[in-house]
Amino acid sequence: MKLYEFQGKALFEEAGIPIPRGALVTADSRKDLFAPSAVKAQVLSGGRGKAGGVLLVSNMEEAEKAADSILSLELKGEKVSALLVEEKMDIRREYYLAVTFDGEARTPLFMVSPSGGMDIEAVADREPEKILKLPVDPLWGITDYKIRAMADFLGYEDKKEFAAFVRRIWKLFREKDAVLVEINPLVVTDKGLVALDSKIELDDDALPRQKALFETLGAEQLRITGQEGEKGGGTITYVPLEGNVGLISDGAGTGMLTLDLIRDMGGEAADFCEMGGLTSPEVMYSALEQVLEDKRIKSLLVVLIGGFNRMDEMAEGILKYFSDHKSDLPVVVRLCGTMEEEGSRMMTEAGYPVYDDLRTAVSDAVRFAAEGE
Amino acid sequence: MAILVNENTRVIVQGITGKSGILQTKSLLEYGTSVVAGVTPGKRGNSVEGVPVFDSVVQAMERCTPNAAISFVPPMFAKDAAMEAMEVGIELLVLTMEGIPKHDVLDILAYAEGRNIRVIGPGTAGVISPGKCKLGAHPSRMFIPGKVGVVSKSGALSYEVGKTLTDAGIGQSTVVALGGGPIWGMNQRDAVELFNDDPETEIIVLLGEIGGGTEIAAAEFIAKAVKKPVVSLIVGRSAPEGKSLGHAGAIIRGNKGTAASKIEALERAGVHVALSPAQVVDIIRKLG
Repeated sequence: MKLYEFQGKALFEEAGIPIPRGALVTADSRKDLFAPSAVKAQVLSGGRGKAGGVLLVSNMEEAEKAADSILSLELKGEKVSALLVEEKMDIRREYYLAVTFDGEARTPLFMVSPSGGMDIEAVADREPEKILKLPVDPLWGITDYKIRAMADFLGYEDKKEFAAFVRRIWKLFREKDAVLVEINPLVVTDKGLVALDSKIELDDDALPRQKALFETLGAEQLRITGQEGEKGGGTITYVPLEGNVGLISDGAGTGMLTLDLIRDMGGEAADFCEMGGLTSPEVMYSALEQVLEDKRIKSLLVVLIGGFNRMDEMAEGILKYFSDHKSDLPVVVRLCGTMEEEGSRMMTEAGYPVYDDLRTAVSDAVRFAAEGE
Repeated sequence: MAILVNENTRVIVQGITGKSGILQTKSLLEYGTSVVAGVTPGKRGNSVEGVPVFDSVVQAMERCTPNAAISFVPPMFAKDAAMEAMEVGIELLVLTMEGIPKHDVLDILAYAEGRNIRVIGPGTAGVISPGKCKLGAHPSRMFIPGKVGVVSKSGALSYEVGKTLTDAGIGQSTVVALGGGPIWGMNQRDAVELFNDDPETEIIVLLGEIGGGTEIAAAEFIAKAVKKPVVSLIVGRSAPEGKSLGHAGAIIRGNKGTAASKIEALERAGVHVALSPAQVVDIIRKLG
C-alpha cells in the first residue's frame, strides 16, 4: 500500500522524526490554508513538482490561487483532491535518504545522497558515486559504524542527531512492515534535520498483522479521494495488450513463454493474465471474466501446467464460466500436471478439446484468431 | 549425486496437517521421497499418510533425524517455523508459500546466510532429482532421470521445459525452481555452481525471464568458472516495457532487464541461447 505524503508524515511525527508544521486541505475544507507556505498536491505518483503540483506562496491571495490551480490538476492520471500546506523552511542543504530492500542481494538497503531534492534515478544514472548504498543485516539492525559512514558521506556534522534520526527511520521501516521509506529531500535547516517529503510503501503481505494501520490509512484515502486505494491480495495479474488472442496462464514463466510463442507464430496476445501457481476454480472463473471483457478477442488460449495447482479444479472453473456465459469463441485449453486425467476427462466430456503440447495449442489459438478476423 | 536432494534426503513436512500439507505429503510419498516426519504445533501423536506428526522440529529431529524441510506453514507463521527448522539443524529448506511478509523473508534469509543453510523460495515449486527425491510440486510424469540440470525462476516454466525434455527422452539430474517473489534465497548463480560441481550433470539449462539482473550475474559466473555446456531460455521477449508480468521482478524498466540484454550477456559468456523449449531440446541433441 502506497501512502500519501501527509500519511507518511503522520507516521514520521508519531516516530519522532521532525517534519514541517502543516495542514491538510481539501476542496470542501479550505479553512486551514495559510501563508506564507508551500502548497503541495497529494498524489501517489512521483514528479509532481515539475508538473506544477507544488507552489510556494507568500500571502493568502497567492495561497488561494495556488490551491485552485493544484486542485484542478490531474497528475499522471491521478486527480488531485487534497493538498498539504506546510510552513516554508530555511533550507541550507538537501539530502536524499531512503531505506528499502534489495531483493537480489536479499537484504535491507539504506541509500543516502548529498544530492537530494531532485530525481534520484537521474542521479543514479549520471553520478552514481553520489549515492551511498549500505546493506543492513536485518537481525543486527542498523549499526553505529554504518550510521557514521552515512553521516560522513553526507558531510553532516551533528552525528548524534543524525544517528537518532536514522534509528527512528529504521524502527519505522521494521515495525510498520514498510518496503520503502524515502525522504527526498531531507533538509538541513537552522533547527537541524527535517523530513520535507515522505514516500512510504507498506507491505501488503503484512496486512494480517498490521490490520489496524491498514484500515486507518485505507479509510483516510477513501475519505479524501472518494476512491479505494490499490488493493493488495488477489493473485491475478492482468495486463491488457494489443492483439486478439486472449491468454490466461497459471504461472508467470509459462505465461511469458506463451506470449513469446504467440508472437513467434505470427499472432498477438490481447492480454497477459496470470493466476499464480496455487489457485482455485473461483480464480479461474474471475480470470475468464476479466479477460473476456475484451471484445477484440477472437480466440481464447488457456495454458495450464499444474504443480500445486489442480487441473480438475481448473476444469471446474472453466466449465462453470462457459455454462454461465454461452459463447461461440474458439477455446484452446492446454492442460497438464496435477490431476490431469480428471481435468481432461471433465473438459472432453463437456465437448472441449484438450491439448497437451504447448506449441500445438498456441499454433491453433493463433490460427483461430486469424480466421475470426 | 544430483544436487540439493537425492536418495539420502530425509524430509520433514512443516505444516503437514493443513490442506496443502496433506495433499503434497501424499504426492511426495508416492514419488518415493523419504518423508520421515511432519510438524504441526499441537498435533503430536497424529499421523498423515502414515507419517508421524510432532509438535516441534526438535522432537522430529530427535526421533527421525531429517536433513531437509519443506514448509506449507501459512505466511504469518512461516518465519517462526523456518527459524525453528534452521536452528535445529535442517540444511535445506524449501519455502513453498507465497505472501510471507517481506521483513520475515529478509530475516529468514539473513539467518540462513550466516549458517550456510540453503533456502529455496519462498513462493517456489521446489526441487526434484528425478528417480531419487522430490521436494516440491513437480508433476512426476514430466521428469525422468538423466544428465541435464535445470534451474528456473518460475516453477511452471521448469515443468514446461522438464516436460519437453522428458517427451524428447532427455533426462534430468535435478530440476530446481527458485520462486517468483521479490526476495528469494538460492539464485541462478548458486544453482549453476552446484550443477557445475555435480559429476552427474553434463549439461546445464538456465531458464530466466525479463527483469532484474540475476541471469547476468549467472552469465558472469559461467564465463569465469563453468566448463560444462550451458543452454539458456529467457522468456518475456515480447513483453511490453514498464508492465509487471506476474513475477515481482518481471518488468522492463528502460534498458534494464530486457530479454535482449540478458541474451547478449549469456551469449558473450558462451551460453547457447534457445528461443523456445523445443529449441532447448534441439541444442542439447546437437551437444550430445
